[in-house]
Amino acid sequence: MPKIDLTMDVNGRKVVKQSEPHKRLLDFLREDLNLTGTKEGCGAGECGTCSVFVDGKLVKSCLMPAAKADGAKIETIEGLARPGSLTPVQQAFHKTGASQCGYCIPGMVMAATSALRENPDAGIEEIKERLGGNICRCTGYTKIFEAVEIARDVIAGRLPETALDEDATGESFIGANVRRLDAPSKVSGRLKYAADMKMVDMLQMQVLRAPMPHARIVSIDTSEAEAMEGVACVITSADVPGTDGFGVFVHDQPVMARGKVRHFGEAVAAVAAEDLITARRALAKIKVEYEELPGVYAPEDALVDGAPVIHDYAQDNVIKHIPIRKGDIAKGFAEADLILEDEFRTQQVEHAYLEPEAGIAYVDHDDVVTVLSPSQNITHHRHMLAEILALPINKVRFIMSPVGGGFGGKEDMIYQGMLALAAMKTHRPVQLNFTREESLVASAKRHPSRVRYKMGLKWSGEITAIEFDMLSDGGAYGMSSEGVMRKAAILSCGPYEVHNLKVDTKVVYTNNTPSGAFRTFGGMQAQFATESMMDMAAEALDMDPFELRRINMMRIGSRTHTQQELTTASLDRVLDAAEEASRWEAGAPKVRGPRRNDLGGPDTRKPCTLGARIGEPTDTQTKDERVAS
Amino acid sequence: MLICESYHVPKTLEEALRLWAEAPDGSRLVSGATDILPWAREGRAGDVEIPALIDVTKIPELKGYSCDKGRIRLGAATVYQDFLTDRTLMTNLPCMPYCAIWFADDQIREQATVVGNLVNASPVADGTPPVVALNGEIELTRLEDGAVRRRSVPVADFIEGPGRTLIQPGEIATAVTVDSAYGYGGSFQKVGQRRSLVISVACCAALVRADSTGTVFEDVRLALGGVGPRPIRLRDAERRLKGERITQELIQRVAESAADSVGSRSRKEYRRDVVVNFVRAGLEEALANQPEIGAKFKNFGETENA
Repeated sequence: MPKIDLTMDVNGRKVVKQSEPHKRLLDFLREDLNLTGTKEGCGAGECGTCSVFVDGKLVKSCLMPAAKADGAKIETIEGLARPGSLTPVQQAFHKTGASQCGYCIPGMVMAATSALRENPDAGIEEIKERLGGNICRCTGYTKIFEAVEIARDVIAGRLPETALDEDATGESFIGANVRRLDAPSKVSGRLKYAADMKMVDMLQMQVLRAPMPHARIVSIDTSEAEAMEGVACVITSADVPGTDGFGVFVHDQPVMARGKVRHFGEAVAAVAAEDLITARRALAKIKVEYEELPGVYAPEDALVDGAPVIHDYAQDNVIKHIPIRKGDIAKGFAEADLILEDEFRTQQVEHAYLEPEAGIAYVDHDDVVTVLSPSQNITHHRHMLAEILALPINKVRFIMSPVGGGFGGKEDMIYQGMLALAAMKTHRPVQLNFTREESLVASAKRHPSRVRYKMGLKWSGEITAIEFDMLSDGGAYGMSSEGVMRKAAILSCGPYEVHNLKVDTKVVYTNNTPSGAFRTFGGMQAQFATESMMDMAAEALDMDPFELRRINMMRIGSRTHTQQELTTASLDRVLDAAEEASRWEAGAPKVRGPRRNDLGGPDTRKPCTLGARIGEPTDTQTKDERVAS
Repeated sequence: MLICESYHVPKTLEEALRLWAEAPDGSRLVSGATDILPWAREGRAGDVEIPALIDVTKIPELKGYSCDKGRIRLGAATVYQDFLTDRTLMTNLPCMPYCAIWFADDQIREQATVVGNLVNASPVADGTPPVVALNGEIELTRLEDGAVRRRSVPVADFIEGPGRTLIQPGEIATAVTVDSAYGYGGSFQKVGQRRSLVISVACCAALVRADSTGTVFEDVRLALGGVGPRPIRLRDAERRLKGERITQELIQRVAESAADSVGSRSRKEYRRDVVVNFVRAGLEEALANQPEIGAKFKNFGETENA
């Protein structure tokens, strides 16, 4: 491929480089200039992590060919402040705790900087609008908006520069606004995530993924790919030297599909090559013959007699069943004045952390296989990988790189094994950076669930019995499913004392994308059912929903669903605080009619509107005049 | 990913036309590039290897805009952000700022061009309805016997269907010419899967000018996007409003009749509901947005927007 010459002014320095014609400005900055503060979160212009200034205008560098920026003046996160210092925007982000995982933050700082350059007096609505092209998954944006407003006022002189300093702490750090130690590295773009790191002689890995959800692998022919110039190795499950299998509870998942694929997008083979393009071209040369198998796509179908079996060890497709029994539900329902029954469903959810999965593996001088990745569970990964590689534990090392958002989604070892195998096969460092699409297709999701609920109550509001039956879709592999079911069972009936209950949480294999850990770990699905039931019960009993909860809440001395006696309990105070903060209009649900007065208060979020800047022209040079007719 | 063998940056229109006419099959023009790069990804076209990209952003003739005889010629390099920063464009094309603010985000608006949006011919392109409402004509330029030749085609005819236009091999869309609608109130209604950074499921552009007393529709322009393979100009609705007294009842009646213009095969009932609400809300907002004349009619402002 012929090279092209690119000349740019980057952060005030003239840069002349030969590059490839296909590179995006993002690639040129990150790969050719090592300016890795500019991140790639999606590669499709959705997330804003790659925002840079080109001739003074903020653009998404993943949507700009590098050659289009030839001759332009480029400003990246690294160029905003002199080394060792931070701009007021960066300082304000540091102060308010706006950076959490930090991966969106360089882009956010750039968007905030652009907003205040375009309109130094931008109000909060315009600030929100101008940050609308940037996604953050950690903060909920509040701390980011707060930072931009502080920075705006400091720059305008309405606030003293000391407003950017850390708040004074009194005798205790509790309740004080303490700055994060790692924030300066994040607001300045200096923190290196796994995809930002480079090693000498490093190869790039790409993964061939299953094009169908359930199939027997008849054959894999990698010979043509292996023969390609620039390809260092191709790996399949045949390269695994030890006991192939990982998982948080049951080790049912091979490093790459072994014998059959169980979900769309499952890794089948991987290539390590001199560069990304060669690796991608080599993937197209791998020939895999599949024999499609009937699949299971709904958890109910997995339990039917004669359903396709997804894992040989689990002929009934059940990953885990957690039962809890307390008291006597027959007696409890017999005592009830009112019995309510309903069904609740929740859907699959992607974590969508801004940092797609990435990692590097290498074999060090002492033959230690080393994997660097944003793993949320490195010790467990290390133990599993030692078994998979048939190596003693002291020859396997995991390094946890900064996690650009995890939320549970990086607990599973879905790619580290492939990296280790390629490093061992080539004795060269190997890097794999997922695309966003790959992250969506291959990473675990929140468990979709169905809860069948039966609740018995007395007219007084007292719950006499609950029958709670949850069926969850575990997808193709076990991952964290067992723990998620355990947590869902423990939390099932909520923070309410129920003397008679029967709880079953069950998770089954299907050919859907595997389900795994996700914030609340099963609690959300259970609470959605329980709290919905409580509101519906309040309606049926003509009772204030807070009141119903107070009647049933766990107190000191209560026994939990799993029969633990509580020595502390705080739900009474939680309910009081929530009632006050929400300006709750007391009374049974039906007393309000169509309008309620406790909605739309000053601290509630309004629906999205756009156009705060229309009518406030930023271009004051041209006059408001009619064109010649 | 998008892989190209060569990347050309012509400095003149003639050079660009020559390169384009001679480019090997599969080559593409690049202006905003905000669609071609996401297109070459998993789930859409996947990895794409093409012989050449021809970047037209450095051609002086395609930059800026000019005004003549009540028409505005927007060069092909005009980006969506221009409708939010350039006072002349904002006041003469009063539906465009509202279209632009709902179009992608600030970063993408700095790159994405109106002309590129039209040539892409997506049935849900945000730019098409307002340009059609402004009687837009696209300028297509080619080389013929070494000379630069231009032709103009109404945008409403130019877009034949999803991704299909009247552009011929060797032609480059160099401008779009639209009416100046100075003094009109403008509006743009849009709904997608979410509020921010989203592709339309349906959209509607409206332009309205009342008479000096603010009681009679003097001129009305309405166009829909996302409800059929091509953009739709609501000529019949416009005729029924023009010259009539502005009343809530008339607006509602005309809005309801617009539902029949929905030609989409998917979510048809939903789109019919949306179109009725969008035509009504678009007319009401455009009336309210008139710079000089306040619309006077009973009940105005009491109905809720879609």
